[in-house]
Amino acid sequence: MEGGIHAWKGLRATGAPEAGMAYFDPAKKAEELIALAWMLEEGSCKFYLEMGKKEKSPEAVALFRELSDDEEKHKAALFNIYQRRSGKDSDPGFPRSLLSLESGVDYLEGGIFLKKALEWAQGKGLKDILEFSVSLEVNAIDLYIKMERKVEGKEAKEVFQALSNQERNHLKRLTAALEKG
Amino acid sequence: MGILDYFKPVDTWPPEKVRQFLDEKSPQEYNLVDVRTPKEYEQEHLPGARLIPVGELETRWKELDRKKPTITY
Repeated sequence: MEGGIHAWKGLRATGAPEAGMAYFDPAKKAEELIALAWMLEEGSCKFYLEMGKKEKSPEAVALFRELSDDEEKHKAALFNIYQRRSGKDSDPGFPRSLLSLESGVDYLEGGIFLKKALEWAQGKGLKDILEFSVSLEVNAIDLYIKMERKVEGKEAKEVFQALSNQERNHLKRLTAALEKG
Repeated sequence: MGILDYFKPVDTWPPEKVRQFLDEKSPQEYNLVDVRTPKEYEQEHLPGARLIPVGELETRWKELDRKKPTITY
């Protein structure tokens, strides 16, 4: 690419090649990657839900509600694939026991604590929140593309492909909302 | 990689063309490679890019699917 990354005007992800995955100890098995993705979807889902409650404009409320609903569907798709791969209909330990994570702590993409993000968002306007959401989605796309490469099995690969495509749609909606002001 | 590979022409695309290409294709249809250092990659990179520092390309090029177009930066 002419000019390298300095000439790139599009969005950029941050973090080391294994960022996100590495934060929670290297997730090696497919089940661990699925559990990690589920955890991050849960974090995003809660973040968008709270932003939907915080915002006043009907458009912003609707956008955050839709994003939150989508992340909920992603969680369901991930749990579904976990069930099929593990052969367990239910697993009370999913996903935290697979990742050795303490209970009650939610994370966002890049290892950010949900609690910290919600505290940060308290004093922020819609533009800042949309920009933060864009960075979350860009890093989610980055992570899912890498997970798709790393995970074994056609079905799991398809799930991560679908997730990265759907997060691309989220990104388009968020950037459209940002441009609209 | 054979000696003749060194003589294959390589296109240089402007960023807008790369952006259009990435928008139109799914990540499974191309190799996107960041050839800078790990530190530079960590600071920022194109979403989904693999990190293969230029000094490691000679030994790691087999990680890339030769049937797919490869974009490096």
